Amino acid sequence: MGSEQSLTVPGRYKEIKRICEFIAAGAAQAGFDDEAIFRLELCCDEASTNIIEHAYGEEDTGSIVVSYEISGDDFIIVMRDQGRAFDPALVPPPPTINLDGTSADGSTGQLRIGGLGLHLIRNLMDEVRFSSDSREGNKLVMIKKLEAQTGKEAS
Amino acid sequence: MSVWQEKLPQSDVWVVMATGRLDQTQNMNLEETLNALLDEGHYHLVVDLSQATYINSGGLRCLVSAWRRAKTNQGSLVLCGLNSRLQEIFSMVGFDKVFAIHEDCEAARSRPSSS
Repeated sequence: MGSEQSLTVPGRYKEIKRICEFIAAGAAQAGFDDEAIFRLELCCDEASTNIIEHAYGEEDTGSIVVSYEISGDDFIIVMRDQGRAFDPALVPPPPTINLDGTSADGSTGQLRIGGLGLHLIRNLMDEVRFSSDSREGNKLVMIKKLEAQTGKEAS
Repeated sequence: MSVWQEKLPQSDVWVVMATGRLDQTQNMNLEETLNALLDEGHYHLVVDLSQATYINSGGLRCLVSAWRRAKTNQGSLVLCGLNSRLQEIFSMVGFDKVFAIHEDCEAARSRPSSS
């Protein structure tokens, strides 16, 4: 393998499953186990949800292009959209929830879904990068090391 | 995903069972079920996730929102039966410290208020 595989879907919640299945198939071929594939699927789910909710603002406003490739020990997932620039690095971690039901920052409203999803992505991927320009749109790169997977199998 | 609900005998504890994938297309179903019970004043809930295979941040948010409403009304929302993948996700966002989580759903049914 090594060549880039790509899929384009409408920015719609029910299409996220297709993205997850597309990445799962590629990850299985790359040699990731079921646990790792589950985590990669979750990251793509969260990233896709963020694109629909934050970049496009709603469903059916634009498309999502997802691709993956293997480069050395890296399994590289790239997600592109043409929506508003949404830099994950600017999203703070989700607030800690107190046991009385309030957030540690004092808010009692709903948790920020984006914050929670990005928290998961940051924890589950080895590297996350975001870029945006007016010509190419938004580009989220998520990298998972195959090396870690091999090491896990060996231990 | 499907969502089932049942009332435990001789109590006002309701068990909600969510099966399959708790993703963006399905979370609404769980949210509506939990909100309907809370709207009716049933503030002691057990959510059985033993048949749930997946959860995303939307699913987590849905559970936290219901937990908050139950807690605000002196109730409880207890989870049970999480598989190892779901447990990992809950731990990663610190929700394992927020929710009372029982491995065994029978234990959760017998002690639903321990949160």
